[in-house]
Amino acid sequence: MLDDIIQSYNEAVFETDRMAALNVVDRALAQGVTAEEVVFKVVIPAIETMMSLIASDPDANLAQHFMTSQIAVEVTEKMLPKFRNSPEVVGRVVIGTAHGDLHSLGKRIVMGCLKAMMVEVVDLGVNVSAEHFIDEAVRLDAQVIGISAMMVHTAMGEEGCRKVRARLQERGLTDRIKLVVGGAPYRFDPNLYQAVGADAWAEDGINAAKVIIELIREVKRHDTP
Amino acid sequence: MLTANHSNQMAVLTVHVGASVTCLPFGRGRSVREILDLFGPRVRAACGGIGACGACVVRVLRGEVNPLMPAERLRLDSAAQARGERLACQLRLLGDLAIRIDHPPPPSVWTTIPMEDLCPVSSEQPAAIRYKYGLAVDLGTTHIRLSLWDCGSRQRMATRRGPNPQGVFGADVLSRLDAARIHAAELARLVRDALIDALRDMLARELGKVTPLLADVGRVMIVGNTAMLTLLTGAGYDTLIDPAYWQQPISCQPPDWQAWQQAWGLPNAEIVLPAPVAGFIGSDLVADLIATDLVEGPPGSMLLDLGTNVELALWTGQRVLVTSTPGGPAFEGVGIRHGMPVQIGAIYRVHGIDAAFSCEVIGGVAPQGFCGSGLLDGIARLLENGALKPSGRFTVPPGTEGYRLDPDNPRTAITGHDVDAFQRAKAATAAAMGTLLAVAGLEWSDLQRLCICGSFGHHLDLSLAQSVGLLPPLALSRMELMTNAALSGCEQALLDGAGMARFARLTHLMAPVNLSMRGRYDDDYLDHLRLKPISLSQNQTIK
Ligand code: B12
Ligand code: FES
Repeated sequence: MLDDIIQSYNEAVFETDRMAALNVVDRALAQGVTAEEVVFKVVIPAIETMMSLIASDPDANLAQHFMTSQIAVEVTEKMLPKFRNSPEVVGRVVIGTAHGDLHSLGKRIVMGCLKAMMVEVVDLGVNVSAEHFIDEAVRLDAQVIGISAMMVHTAMGEEGCRKVRARLQERGLTDRIKLVVGGAPYRFDPNLYQAVGADAWAEDGINAAKVIIELIREVKRHDTP
Repeated sequence: MLTANHSNQMAVLTVHVGASVTCLPFGRGRSVREILDLFGPRVRAACGGIGACGACVVRVLRGEVNPLMPAERLRLDSAAQARGERLACQLRLLGDLAIRIDHPPPPSVWTTIPMEDLCPVSSEQPAAIRYKYGLAVDLGTTHIRLSLWDCGSRQRMATRRGPNPQGVFGADVLSRLDAARIHAAELARLVRDALIDALRDMLARELGKVTPLLADVGRVMIVGNTAMLTLLTGAGYDTLIDPAYWQQPISCQPPDWQAWQQAWGLPNAEIVLPAPVAGFIGSDLVADLIATDLVEGPPGSMLLDLGTNVELALWTGQRVLVTSTPGGPAFEGVGIRHGMPVQIGAIYRVHGIDAAFSCEVIGGVAPQGFCGSGLLDGIARLLENGALKPSGRFTVPPGTEGYRLDPDNPRTAITGHDVDAFQRAKAATAAAMGTLLAVAGLEWSDLQRLCICGSFGHHLDLSLAQSVGLLPPLALSRMELMTNAALSGCEQALLDGAGMARFARLTHLMAPVNLSMRGRYDDDYLDHLRLKPISLSQNQTIK
């Protein structure tokens, strides 16, 4: 039965048909599938399949990326209150767009994937200064700062990731807070993330969630020797 | 089957230069020089095509031609006539014709803008103008367009269109602004040299003299997007990429006019740059408003200038809401697998019944790729026949090669990536229109007039643009297509003694809207990614 549900859910997401996807979930719940199963057996694997499908599919488009994560968040948020035990949160991330950059869509997709994969995300919004990134990460005790930059000059410029890295170093926070970047310019030049001082980058939402979870684990290992 | 549309008014002009051969299908009746100035290898010329200079000699190889004209008897001796020599400006295309140019001029990037792409300018004289010649310039990111005027008689002496040479520093505005951090002087020099080169080309070819006439040029008026203006003058480009400056006027006046006059060799020219409105809203948009008389029309009139950077204006009756949005270069055929500019070989229209498509190709030759309007038509036709779904996905994945409109021609293929690029561009545009309307408290159905300018030119098929959701489904009578509107507006202001005041008055009415500060823009953008008509009754209240 679960296989059936998984397949129809995947199809709906692939066709960016939000209503159809939500119907599948309702039907599943009605048939006795638990909220936990919906999230862990249907939604999360679906994002993974979808992202890898999309990544290898020359025809994949932005609407698909977006709907994949959007539907996932919607379903996850609906399911969470139905969980018998509150799920274990992996860790916490603050995310925003680089100084000077107002492109928020990429960040929204990444947030969706993170939420669906049980990472707590705090949105710092757009055009975020280096100081604000760090102040908020410290205040909220986040393990990772995520910076999204869609334009060449905001991805490479002095006011973005480079400055966040410099401030982290000045304040001796490099082991406590990891820095991850994403956005089109990092895809064009896969070494750019290192040049601007980030610990990692990811090319899409699901990989973003994966590398971020990795980094959170790294920080936590460091914290609890 | 794919066919190039030939009407019986068409004839083919075959041009031999050295070892190269060019075929130019064209309407009958035009002079050979006209045709060559628009598309071709050029002939030498030193007069406005009136048979006065005798420079435009070509040799007829075969074909039907008009009899020798009086000017030709005067300029060509009997030996030349016996060799079949003619003056290209006097020679008309009556049927298929083959010619050879034995002494071609050095190659040039400049071509003439077709007459039908220009707006007529009224002959009434609004104010006395004290100088003889004036130059109007629309400085675009990709192309530069210019026209030279005899201001006294209000006659357009010549037009030119050519590439912006800054293209070597990157196709889009931001990469050029970025390059300016290091190469500002070089960027400015490139484009300044290009402008004077175009002017000299016009004077030499249409008036036969250059240096003595330069002193008669009394005014040069330049409009363009803000980035291009700052790069031209070398002032203000560094503030442009800072969001703090977007809704503010940006100064881009050159520090020293005299240096320009000197460098250009135009001792008497007043060089005028109407100020741009804000960060990404240039004086070209103001010129568009002049050309379309937008604020003379009813409230609810909108102007859309489609290009890599889409600019929009909405007249509310009190003010003009203006904004810009990065459509991306898909509208100009850039970043598309088989994309190309509007030039010979570009598919610019696609017709289709069931699975058979027929393409109209510029110059009527075999298709080499799509320009913006061809891509739009292609996508709309694929959607119509079900090969493409509203999600932008193909019903049967065509693979990386894409879907060929003509199974026999790989250059007629549209890929999934092309469709995605188009979806993003049209979503950015439609969402921007919707947001402006919402800011004004209007619905789509309140739109009284929609003027569409920019990269598609007159090739845009309005109904197809409606079917994919680029334009709202208004009655076609409310929509107008205009080519070269920015140049036309600049021309009008150039010829009007009070031209700068017109710019100032319109700029004063303008209220820039920053789309990234409008929460709904994001959601609208995602909604508009789907390839489907815009719903006129969509709720417009601001979230
Ligand atoms: C939509 C859009 C806008 C909207 C933004 C709306 C919004 N709220 O986001 C508006 C209209 C406001 C806008 C404004 C501008 N834009 Co804009 N915009 C675009 C457009 C069309 C789409 C960008 C986008 O959202 N992509 C969608 C996301 C999902 O893309 P993605 O990269 O695949 O995202 C994935 C990964 O990158 C990764 N990821 C993303 N972030 C992160 C973060 C982390 C931490 C990680 C790990 C991963 C990660 O995961 C994502 C999900 O899978 C592009 C052109 C295009 N066709 O792509 C131009 C584009 C980005 N814009 C551009 C420009 C020039 C501008 C403007 C300067 C122009 C103007 N007219 O004002 C302004 C600048 C605004 C500013 N200061 O930021 C240029 C940039 C050129 C350059 N060389 O850098 C582009 C490329 C268009 C172009 N070709 O000219 N824009
Ligand atoms: S005689 Fe033909 S252009 Fe001058």
